[in-house]
Amino acid sequence: MHEWSVGEGILRSVIDWAKENNINSVKRVKVAIPSFTFLEADILKEAYDTLKKGTIAENSVLEISFKDPVFKCRNCGNIFTIREVINEVEKVKDEFGEEYPLHLMSGLAPAFIKCPKCGSNDIEVSSQEIMIKGVEVNGTP
Amino acid sequence: MEPLEVLAKSKLSGKKTIAVMSAKGGVGKSLISALLSLAISSSNPTTLIDLDIHTMAVTKLFGLENKLHEVTKRGIEPFTIGNLGVISLGGVVKDKYVILSGSNNRSVMESLIAYSVINDVVVFDLPPGLGDEVLLLEHLTDFVPVVVTTPSKVSVKVVEYLVRYLTEKRKRPHLVVNMAYYDCEGGKKVRPFGDERAVNELVKKYGLEYTELPIDPLLEDYIGRIDKYDGVVKQKVIELARDLLKPRRDERS
Repeated sequence: MHEWSVGEGILRSVIDWAKENNINSVKRVKVAIPSFTFLEADILKEAYDTLKKGTIAENSVLEISFKDPVFKCRNCGNIFTIREVINEVEKVKDEFGEEYPLHLMSGLAPAFIKCPKCGSNDIEVSSQEIMIKGVEVNGTP
Repeated sequence: MEPLEVLAKSKLSGKKTIAVMSAKGGVGKSLISALLSLAISSSNPTTLIDLDIHTMAVTKLFGLENKLHEVTKRGIEPFTIGNLGVISLGGVVKDKYVILSGSNNRSVMESLIAYSVINDVVVFDLPPGLGDEVLLLEHLTDFVPVVVTTPSKVSVKVVEYLVRYLTEKRKRPHLVVNMAYYDCEGGKKVRPFGDERAVNELVKKYGLEYTELPIDPLLEDYIGRIDKYDGVVKQKVIELARDLLKPRRDERS
């Protein structure tokens, strides 16, 4: 269900940006989502396609890509990927179910993911937020 | 473009927002936030958002520990107590401790605002200090600051940093002096912290409006069911709520 809030955030961002730039119609919106959120692309698209009706983004297509953030331990300097801590993430999912904390708030990652080398929670996450990577508007190739 | 920020701003747009804050810890911010939001909710649909994401005291005050927020197409649904909605990270992580660095703190606080279902009046319970929570709120909305202190000289001195900061930002904080006095029989006020000199000097120096709250030992019996509390502190907080909901001088001019 959280995908609906994410869809609303994406749509509002696009509409605000289009208004600021005097754009009347949007063709394509590209978003990047951290993989550990396990957001469902189909539900996010459904939400976006429902919410966009009647807006300047009505004819736009949402293009979703998932990014694997890189984690860096500030305690020991270890750099690691989601694959090395996937068991920890799965445990959290099992405990909380579908709306698990990292699904709702990607910023919580360091509270649930420990460095696999030293066990520290002092983790830096590269590109942990949902980002709009690009918008194509009508009139662009 | 960051959808999180855009959504958080839109959620607060056009709403009356009150931030209960202090540069000092342990002065009663969460308790005052809870009583204030309950008082306001008697006349306006209100949401209390617990931005103290490390302690999540609000869930303890209302007896909401280990309960999870429902998530619908509208967003994170608040716990409801009458006309009051309560949002806390405790409703996302249950009793898990949350240890986070600065930028992640900000992201989680912003997420709580962006993804939640919010009423027309919003009361924020902030963590102590002058950090991301203050900067984030300033960035998102034009809030009314309620600054909490005790009459203790050290508390007043520490709180002055926040009052000075807010004043420089052209905000007009309302000072709440918590645990200011005992109401004794015969209408006599006893002040366990001694005289009120430190508070009076702060009030005079910055031209603050202020409210004193009494000490009520019975309050402890209502931790976990704070909505049932009906004692002397509540009566004073109802008066505070009325003051805060009046159009402020800067709004009238």
